[in-house]
Amino acid sequence: MKVIVDYDRCEANAVCMKICPEVFEVREDDNLYLLVEEPDESLRPKVEEAVRRCPRQALSIKD
Amino acid sequence: MELADVDLVNPDIWIEGVPHEAFRLLRRRAPVFWQEMPGHRGFWAITRYEDVVTVSKDAATFSSYRGGTILKDLPEEDLNNTRTIMLNMDPPQHSKYRKLVSQGFTPRMTARLEPRIREATSAILDEVAERGECDFVRDVAAELPLIVIAELVGVPLEDRHKVFEWSNRLIGFDDPEFGGSENDGKMAAMEMWMYANQLAEERKKAPRDDLVSVLMTGEVDGEKLSEMEFDSFFLLLAVAGNETTRNLISGGMLALIEHPDERRKLIDNPQLVPTGIEEMLRWVSPVSQFRRTATRDTEIRGQKIREGDKVVVYYQSANRDEDVFPDPYRFDVARSPNNHLAFGIGEHFCLGANLARLEIRVMFEEILRRLPDIELAGPVRRLRSNFINGVKEMPVRFTPTRKRAAG
Repeated sequence: MKVIVDYDRCEANAVCMKICPEVFEVREDDNLYLLVEEPDESLRPKVEEAVRRCPRQALSIKD
Repeated sequence: MELADVDLVNPDIWIEGVPHEAFRLLRRRAPVFWQEMPGHRGFWAITRYEDVVTVSKDAATFSSYRGGTILKDLPEEDLNNTRTIMLNMDPPQHSKYRKLVSQGFTPRMTARLEPRIREATSAILDEVAERGECDFVRDVAAELPLIVIAELVGVPLEDRHKVFEWSNRLIGFDDPEFGGSENDGKMAAMEMWMYANQLAEERKKAPRDDLVSVLMTGEVDGEKLSEMEFDSFFLLLAVAGNETTRNLISGGMLALIEHPDERRKLIDNPQLVPTGIEEMLRWVSPVSQFRRTATRDTEIRGQKIREGDKVVVYYQSANRDEDVFPDPYRFDVARSPNNHLAFGIGEHFCLGANLARLEIRVMFEEILRRLPDIELAGPVRRLRSNFINGVKEMPVRFTPTRKRAAG
């Protein structure tokens, strides 16, 4: 599983970081950083929830 | 109540309150409901959480541009004018315009405003503290968003009540007290545009650190904004950040007054305020609905939707959906999780969500600390509107307290 961020859409709301801090980190500079681009399968439910709940639809998963 | 009794359009019904009984019936019996609309084409009313999300996230199928975002069908010329407002654009155009201003609204940028927001809030409460009574809407709830948006956009502070009046007339086109006609709404828009142009002239000579200056220099596809585009931006920023936050503060206060045990919890445990404000957002949902227009034949929950049909999403209904929120009619300041849709979701997710949350949090932290026993002192008068869940007047009283010590 590969996590894709559409940086044109991301507005640093940090909803993803609250759901899955293992993968997503919004830093002081207001940018979203992926801590792991291809997270372990065990994180899939959390990553999927982050994708679903991103208010700007900026996240997706590529298998 | 039967389905035949449901009427989501008549603004008179909304004077009494949000039609929650109708929404509950619709969610259960007709989640994709054909609502007639006298003098206009009818529309599909979408009332379940899951469907509101689906429609909101599919801007390609459910367009904001094609027929605009208000219930009424506008003549082509008026529709074209409204399309210069971001609210009535689709991607990719919408994203380009939004990018011009979105960096001013990130969590970090808004957090920088907290000291000023707290100072403004304290000053607002100072004005009423010794009186022991006030109109909560005009004296408290309306003031903070006006001050904040005036500062952010670049309106001189002494002009903020002009913005208050214009936005009342723009939003209150169904309420006789606020102008009460579409013509007056248009007049208000025109007055606002003239004001915006004047402001633009001043900033051209002397740019400042405000959004008017950003818009003056900003470019979309290598082109500066036209006068019309600039005016539309100004109108959206001034109205959207204003009416909604005001009504959330008023409606949230009313919810606390009506649920004294929940208010007590917040007073005793201020660390509950963040979940408390999310519950106020869910409970009040200041924006009742937005309209979309189908760009192709499609289906929602098995119901055929034809190209050109109006599809209207109801946020207050989504936020009471039994499938998502346990015990949804209970006001619970500790509710968690609370993934309400008060700010919408997807392409048009409220740009000012972080700013609104900050204003509301600071306002209630200060109210709960300084005026913990606010109670109603007269009838609450609601806005006649099927679009904004608004309170026009809310007389309150409380134990008078002193102003902050000078200095």
